[in-house]
Amino acid sequence: MPTVLVDGQEIELAAGEKLNGIQVAARAGVEIPHYCWHPGLTVVASCRMCLVETGTRNAETGAITMLPKLSPACQTPATNNSVFVTGSAKVIQARAMVEEDLLIDHPIDCPICDKAGECLLQDYHFQHGQAERRADLRPFTRRRREMGDTVTLFVDRCVMCTRCVRFTREISGASELMVINRGSHEEIDVFPGYPLANKLSGNVVDLCPVGALGDKDFLYQQRVWFMKKHPGICTGCSTGCSITVEENQDHVYRLKPRTNMHVNEWWMCDEGRYGYHHVHHENRLTEPWVKSARGPAPSAESRDKKVPDTFSKVEWSALLDAMDSRLRKTQRLAAILSPHLTVEEAYLLAKYCRSIDGNAWIAMGHVPMFGEDQVFAKGFTVRAEKCPNRRGVEEVVAHFMGRVPKWEDALAAIESGEVQAAWFSGGYKKSDWNDENVAARCQGLATLIVQDMFRSPLYDQADYQLPGAAFAEREGSYVNCKDRLHSVVWAVRPPVGVRTEASLYWQLLGMPGMYRSRRVLDEIAGEILYFNAAGGPIPPTGVDLKVNLLAGASA
Amino acid sequence: MQPNDPQVKWIEEPKLGLAGKMYLPLFVQGLAVTTRHLFSPKVTVSFPEQRPQIGNPLIYRGVHRLNKDEQGRVKCVACFLCATACPAHCIDIIGVESPWPDREKYPQSFSIDELRCIFCGMCEEACPVDAIELTSLFDLTGRSREEMIFDKEKLLSVYDQTKDAEPMKSTACGGTVT
Amino acid sequence: MATDLPSLMQNVVAPLVKIVLLIGGLMTAAAYFVLLERWMAAWVQDRRGPNRVGIPLTRIKLLGLGQPLADGIKFITKEEYTPAHVDKPIYILAPIVILAAALAIFAVIPFGSVLPPIPGIPGLDKEPIPLLVAPGLDPSLVFVFALSSIAVFPVILGGWASNNKYSFLGGLRSSAQLIAYEIPLGLGILGVALVSGSIRLDKVIVDQAASGVWNAFLQPLGLLVFVVAAFAEAARLPFDLPEAEQELIGGYHTEYAGLKLLLFLVAEFLHMITAAFLIVILFFGGWHLWGLTGFSEESISWAQALLRIAVLSAKVFLVILFFMMVRWSWPRFRFDQLMALAWKVLLPLGLVNLVVVAVMVEYGGTLKSQFGGGVYWIFAISGWLALIAAWVVAALVSPSHDDNTPRRAAQKFDTEAEFYRTF
Repeated sequence: MPTVLVDGQEIELAAGEKLNGIQVAARAGVEIPHYCWHPGLTVVASCRMCLVETGTRNAETGAITMLPKLSPACQTPATNNSVFVTGSAKVIQARAMVEEDLLIDHPIDCPICDKAGECLLQDYHFQHGQAERRADLRPFTRRRREMGDTVTLFVDRCVMCTRCVRFTREISGASELMVINRGSHEEIDVFPGYPLANKLSGNVVDLCPVGALGDKDFLYQQRVWFMKKHPGICTGCSTGCSITVEENQDHVYRLKPRTNMHVNEWWMCDEGRYGYHHVHHENRLTEPWVKSARGPAPSAESRDKKVPDTFSKVEWSALLDAMDSRLRKTQRLAAILSPHLTVEEAYLLAKYCRSIDGNAWIAMGHVPMFGEDQVFAKGFTVRAEKCPNRRGVEEVVAHFMGRVPKWEDALAAIESGEVQAAWFSGGYKKSDWNDENVAARCQGLATLIVQDMFRSPLYDQADYQLPGAAFAEREGSYVNCKDRLHSVVWAVRPPVGVRTEASLYWQLLGMPGMYRSRRVLDEIAGEILYFNAAGGPIPPTGVDLKVNLLAGASA
Repeated sequence: MQPNDPQVKWIEEPKLGLAGKMYLPLFVQGLAVTTRHLFSPKVTVSFPEQRPQIGNPLIYRGVHRLNKDEQGRVKCVACFLCATACPAHCIDIIGVESPWPDREKYPQSFSIDELRCIFCGMCEEACPVDAIELTSLFDLTGRSREEMIFDKEKLLSVYDQTKDAEPMKSTACGGTVT
Repeated sequence: MATDLPSLMQNVVAPLVKIVLLIGGLMTAAAYFVLLERWMAAWVQDRRGPNRVGIPLTRIKLLGLGQPLADGIKFITKEEYTPAHVDKPIYILAPIVILAAALAIFAVIPFGSVLPPIPGIPGLDKEPIPLLVAPGLDPSLVFVFALSSIAVFPVILGGWASNNKYSFLGGLRSSAQLIAYEIPLGLGILGVALVSGSIRLDKVIVDQAASGVWNAFLQPLGLLVFVVAAFAEAARLPFDLPEAEQELIGGYHTEYAGLKLLLFLVAEFLHMITAAFLIVILFFGGWHLWGLTGFSEESISWAQALLRIAVLSAKVFLVILFFMMVRWSWPRFRFDQLMALAWKVLLPLGLVNLVVVAVMVEYGGTLKSQFGGGVYWIFAISGWLALIAAWVVAALVSPSHDDNTPRRAAQKFDTEAEFYRTF
């Protein structure tokens, strides 16, 4: 077994493991500072920040021979008997020199730089730099260059690590970014007429170790230290990237990818990254309404008014009992589970409907599909299926129905008059999941309940119009297209007046206390074989449920 | 820290003498002190009739102002450092891209909740461009809570009101930040 | 009950007039004593104190004499807030009881000597009118005692009903304190009762006036014990443990507001006024002042009657001033010190005083026949000697002075782990 010596510690590598000096030092608990190296990109060893002393140990005698010069740890493979010394005076001085060099023409405009607080240059300067700058400040010019629709470049702040250039070449594959000029005149730029315009462009901002590349969506919005970070799952498509939801005072300001080697590695797509604006959209519904008299579907004219006259605003407390008793009087019930619901929510709603009507219809909601799956150079995929939890909801539906009735099947059943009451759950980012046609097909329902974030034809027609939660407000688990289950907690509280689906179902079922996703997930894991692996602790990177599929197949 | 830590200094309570145990010195001293103060001159300033003397306006911490530069623009660059330093969370800023070529960011809105403020002066300490300063205005009154939330215009007008009596502290102290 | 006019006047109208005058006077006095207290507090702290409120809607300030009125209006117009968690009947009862008891004590406390008969009013035209609501009550000292004991209940009940741990602690503390200090208070009174041979307060005054020698000169030890106990009974600093703002955020009346709190506060001031009256009456000759007021209650002129009222009021005022000065002069006792002071110091001192007085009374007659008026010098000297001796002994034994440094003998630990293992 290969053994590496890092600052006197012996680190054993697994056979065939290929690590560089930075990675092996991290394993020893030593952080080697670095700018240009990134685990997802190729090595260029240009920033010189990770310079360490390297050498070899003679396997027989144990004598250590060090190289006379410092070498970049990122480019030095850790092989058997490699020796790394990361804390010697020589190394410390080299780092201080690199820091000083980088700061010679770096504008110290941290107060107005959006990166301040999560900037590697800042952090490393405090850790490894010297207290004094010997070079004079150059007058700060605020040269700024647009890289594309999403990213802007503050030219002077760049430290030329070229992570962004390598990303566009290796990961997104479009190679829009390049380095122009030479020597101390080097700058990042795009080819004229070919701006940074690919679906992964936002990642270059995350990659940038300093404040050179700015996210136009986030620019000047918040200082990073004000925001609280909550691990979450992107609900943009069925890839289900691991993300961090960053919010301050119940306002989501940005989403960032969270490293998850099983799903998204270090990246996420722009669609997901900027796909949170609906959470704070002004059109979000925040009040429950009840149709007081059953009339014709509201005309386009009356829909312009916020809500037609036949509707009255109600309190949640009064609403639930009335809705419950009305559902209990109805013969046949249907629950349409949106693929935007968490597994727990889908299960609770199905359970609730089955508790009223033992034969209640449980069906899949509309699964939005747009275009084709888009696969990038290194395999990162943006799915056409724009919902996070089709697999999870399908399995819940299958558990209750024994098969998986699709959206069309459910509509057909409603149209045929087989069911008298239907509960549509929404949670879609846009209101285009139903149209007048769908609404017309649901005309015959005695009771129609729709819970959603935005108004839609079906919503306008509902007897109970309930405002629903957005992804950042939900707590629960999603199953992505590759049967990987992730559990998330809520990042922001829903707007005043909105109740998350889960807490609503929880109360309707008469369960005690506040909604706890873990309790429901335990129940699901016990009930449904598919979810069995979710019975244990869920790591931040999720649990693979396919293990159970194999077990179920063999059983 | 342990009780036997060498850094712990053990001191003995002074032993009381007979007089001390009889509480007599305590009684006499106490009464003597209070009686003396009963007739000593009073330090209260009868405010509306009598204006208090502000010792040094440079270190007095009264109402905030937002300074202007030579062109009459707000000096603030919306860096949020005052809001970060503020222990009372009374500063609320919305920063946007500035319309001027020499500035990257400026505050679209800048408001201080003077009722929440504890007048600690940390915002002034934190400001990298000496834009926010505490003046020596102390008689701050208002008829509603909303009125006491000072917005950018109000804070700039405080500057106009006080700039003659109190020049910007950076220049008053011989600083160079203008 | 006689229904003829003279006895109606004597037994119903005159007491009612006296009650109205007394309660009106006491309430006003309490209000203005609050102002005085705030002034004193301010002056002692080199401030000016309340000096703004004068006549409403004018700019006339009158040194702030309108403040009590403003305070009263403020208290009355405040929201009558009752917390949801309190025991409502008891919560409301407590302030009423405490004020009622505090006021009822004044039924037997003379607020002057007597008024000459008023000619023309049937029933009041023959005998001097005693300035005392219940002149016929013989055991008036016992009555005072009984009612001041009742003052314990509302404090405990208020603390209990408030359903707040601080209130409850305050209530518990004050119950212990008030009960403990009843005993030295009683011992102080007993000495006086022995000397004058009566437990009627007006008789105690007349007795001192007749001899011209106030009890304070004869039994200073009794005075000391009584004054300290009276401070504690009135819960004034340095014995204001029931409230103890710093530790108990107001103690038993933490949960009270508005009018109910006002009742508590007024009762507190009334306790102080009561204590001042008792100190003056029992030890400082009541309305008597040498060469001015005379000593007979049989025939009295209007001028003399009013002068006696003035003298009594002035003495009470001085004692109250002393109460207020003490508040800012001396720090508060710790609770264990408070208890030690009552049981280990004041109780023995009171007993010593009682013994000395008893001896004096026993041999007083014999000595008087031998020395004449000089006997009072013997009594006074022996009283003062008893005070000094008893105080010195108490100080030497110092039962209320604890050694508070037990940490010196704390266990020694070799390692930090050992130290933390003890938790």
